[in-house]
Amino acid sequence: MYVPHSDIDIKRIFKELKISSLDELFTHIPKQLLLEKGIDVPDSISELEAIEYFEKISNKNKTDLICFAGGGHYDVFLPHTVKTLTMRPEFMTSYTPYQPEISQGVLQALFEFQSLVCDLTEMELANASLYDGATSIAEAISVAINKTKRDGVVISNSFNPNSKEVVDTLIDSDKFNLKYITLKDDRFPDDYLFTEDDAAFVVSYPHYNGSAQDLTDLVTRAKDKGVVSICYVDPTLLGILKTPGNMGFDIVVAEGQSIGTPLSYGGPTVGWFATKKEFARLVPGRIIGETRDSNNLKTYVMTLRAREQDIRREKASSNICTNQTLNAIGSAIHLCWLGPEGIYSMGYHAMQKANYMKKLFIDKKVNVINKDSSIREFVIETTKDPEIIIDLMAEKGILAGIKYDDNHLLIAVTEKRTKKEIDKYIDNYIEVNND
Amino acid sequence: MISGGNASSLPLVGGLPEPTIKELSKPGRRAFNYPKLDVDEETIDHECLKIEKAPLPEVSEHDLVMHFSRLAHRNFAVDLGFYPLGSCTMKYNPRFADWVASLDGFSNLHPAAPQKQTQGALEVLNVLEDYLTKITGMDYASFQPPAGASGELTGLLIIKKYLIENNFDNKKNIIVPDSAHGTNPASAKMAGFEVIEVATNEEGLIDVQELKKLVNKDTAGLMLTNPNTGGLFEEDIIEIADIIHSVDGLLYYDGANLNAIVGICRPGDMGFDIVHSNLHKTFATPHGGGGPGSGPVAVKEFLKEYLPGPIVKKSKEDYEWYFPEKSIGRMHGYHGNFLVALRALAYMKLLGKEGLDTLGSFAVLNARYLSSVISKVLPLAYTKPCMHEFVSTSKKLKKSHKIKAYDIGKALLDRGFHSPTIYFPLIIDEALMFEPTETQTLETLDELAQTLNEIIEDLKINNDKLTQYPKNLPVGRPNELIPAKHLTVNWGDFELLEITE
Repeated sequence: MYVPHSDIDIKRIFKELKISSLDELFTHIPKQLLLEKGIDVPDSISELEAIEYFEKISNKNKTDLICFAGGGHYDVFLPHTVKTLTMRPEFMTSYTPYQPEISQGVLQALFEFQSLVCDLTEMELANASLYDGATSIAEAISVAINKTKRDGVVISNSFNPNSKEVVDTLIDSDKFNLKYITLKDDRFPDDYLFTEDDAAFVVSYPHYNGSAQDLTDLVTRAKDKGVVSICYVDPTLLGILKTPGNMGFDIVVAEGQSIGTPLSYGGPTVGWFATKKEFARLVPGRIIGETRDSNNLKTYVMTLRAREQDIRREKASSNICTNQTLNAIGSAIHLCWLGPEGIYSMGYHAMQKANYMKKLFIDKKVNVINKDSSIREFVIETTKDPEIIIDLMAEKGILAGIKYDDNHLLIAVTEKRTKKEIDKYIDNYIEVNND
Repeated sequence: MISGGNASSLPLVGGLPEPTIKELSKPGRRAFNYPKLDVDEETIDHECLKIEKAPLPEVSEHDLVMHFSRLAHRNFAVDLGFYPLGSCTMKYNPRFADWVASLDGFSNLHPAAPQKQTQGALEVLNVLEDYLTKITGMDYASFQPPAGASGELTGLLIIKKYLIENNFDNKKNIIVPDSAHGTNPASAKMAGFEVIEVATNEEGLIDVQELKKLVNKDTAGLMLTNPNTGGLFEEDIIEIADIIHSVDGLLYYDGANLNAIVGICRPGDMGFDIVHSNLHKTFATPHGGGGPGSGPVAVKEFLKEYLPGPIVKKSKEDYEWYFPEKSIGRMHGYHGNFLVALRALAYMKLLGKEGLDTLGSFAVLNARYLSSVISKVLPLAYTKPCMHEFVSTSKKLKKSHKIKAYDIGKALLDRGFHSPTIYFPLIIDEALMFEPTETQTLETLDELAQTLNEIIEDLKINNDKLTQYPKNLPVGRPNELIPAKHLTVNWGDFELLEITE
């Protein structure tokens, strides 16, 4: 399969190599290592049979539910224009752009991605992507530690639990002191006292529970103690919310799935990473820069390469090599499709629809925990275990949200949800929860 | 010579640069199209709301499509021509796998959906785990790592945790060959180990005598790719494994070169305890211009409980997520790069036993053939028979005619071929590393060798042309001095960000 050789070709190769069988290629491998019977896997199937096989498996996933789950990954409208442009084979099947003369397409698309991320977050320098939002938080913390040479990490407790697990895996707790701070009244404590042992202040905007707060003063307090402030932001809300750059953050990271990538069961998506120029030498991953070629034409290249593992080896700023380029290109195309008005509508519609939904809940005497401080995602109190509610709601054709804890449910509303779908949710929820 | 792998017919001939999308922006234009707001609008007062609009480009949909299509035209790709890039396994990416990944049941699945709703996805990972562990000779796998480097870090964190659990706290050294990929030492450092380099001997293999001297009670493990980065099979691998195991160290297999041995032999049988695979290399998922990849990690039974979780467990009734008891934790926000793993399964299903049993054989056959024809033009770095890739050197040409590996690579671009990997492995002067993969035709391999010959003969005579290539592409060689002085990484500033360091 996919080996193009005819018998005639193989004869020609054998003649050139002076061999008469494929086995002769491996006479230098210790005999006891050679597989006598090959690999114990099923015989091949044709493409036609494979279509049936994969359709059958894919139908075992329930994706016909109306999605109210969020937690970093959102069911937004992804236009065909964005999908088909991103899937162009020249983007999809190309290698890392180490040869700029034949890679200007990917390089310029990534340069535009970096610029768009900077414009949207009001930062100065973005990289060409990291794996996902969760790993980007850990990479940002490493940058802060390298910058300050301190060992304290002040991190909000209100993150997706999975993201916290990734941080716990990647930031060595024997060496560094991770201090998880609990929200008070849905706010990171505004009077929090940073110390000069703290390397980083890490906070989600909005918080995992959907509440947003103006973090400007906290960032100033952190800065006063020389602490690097890191903002994990929901990029789909940047058309309506004050930007992390405006609030003074040093590093901005994001889960970029909702800009340019389908839900994809969480991967591949893309991690955004943006910062200020003073952090340039510490940035993980690839950075694309603009230069001129031998004829003085505008040319894009990978730049600041001395940070990367293939050159610096054990002294590199990160071990990342393969990243999420294609998803970053998807982000760039989606942002251009949106424009200033589109990204505004994306956030504004989601906020208005969430507001409508929260009001309906309150009318039905359901306790919305963070009605006023939340934007498009919020927490309600349930009388049953949210797992049971999610199961029962699935039978009604709805993915009800994410279990927040034993009696709370996290609900996300995107611009894609309709009034009809929200009404349907409320009716079914009341039935299911009171049942 | 006419071959399918040559892309010299491409209309990439240099014209003007493509403007940025920001330069194409005009106030009031738009591509987006949303339904009207269908709920009653209310005035919402919130301390975080802003008044000004985000400064994104304003373009029509057609402008958007033309711009990114033109950018696509300015790029080489597997779908256009031959990448003989050593260490990268740029094989053909079957279209069918893209179709599978685009199925609604997979692409629109929310990662936080409960496992009851995602049985298909768990089945995919379970079946793929079965293929992967049988191909590599391991027992269990986790699909958490989203790329090869993440897989390496996973493996090293597993080694670290295993050693601590077994009271080997003193073991701090990870041995890495001097020919290894840069990610190896970088990952070892990230995991908190000290990196010790072991030298490669003149034949291109690990110097076993030196390895013995370096190995002691402080040795935590060895990272190795086999075949190594010189494309040679480490024939002493069984002895090497014994040396490391004799001091209670573990062996980590860097799967970068797995394509060479699929169906021939298995890392698990060689003595490796942990293996990562690059699904975007060996199993034909597209590289996406630099990513996404997928770097699942497979281990022997005794390390199962250390795997990053959750992993899939099959029960009588269904599939469920299982978090290993001593797990190193999560390496990804959800389930790794699931759609990449799915594409790899599609590839394996189509290849089946007969395709997988011969995969390594044909990859090696093509490399052996290419090395045979190229060796008549450029000397090989090593005399031992190569596996799926090989290294040539232009060391002599540099001395005699000032022709560097870089110059040869650049001239190839002009002739419709991607450059081979150059200056790697670092231990070989003026290295050019070729990996044809099993999906290239004989004519393409012949044509590459012939083109190399023509380039070298031409440069020998016309030495003044050395630095002029490429000439027929959208841009010529970049001026490396400008980015060294000015950090222009954002369309907002050309002169603003000056690096003085």
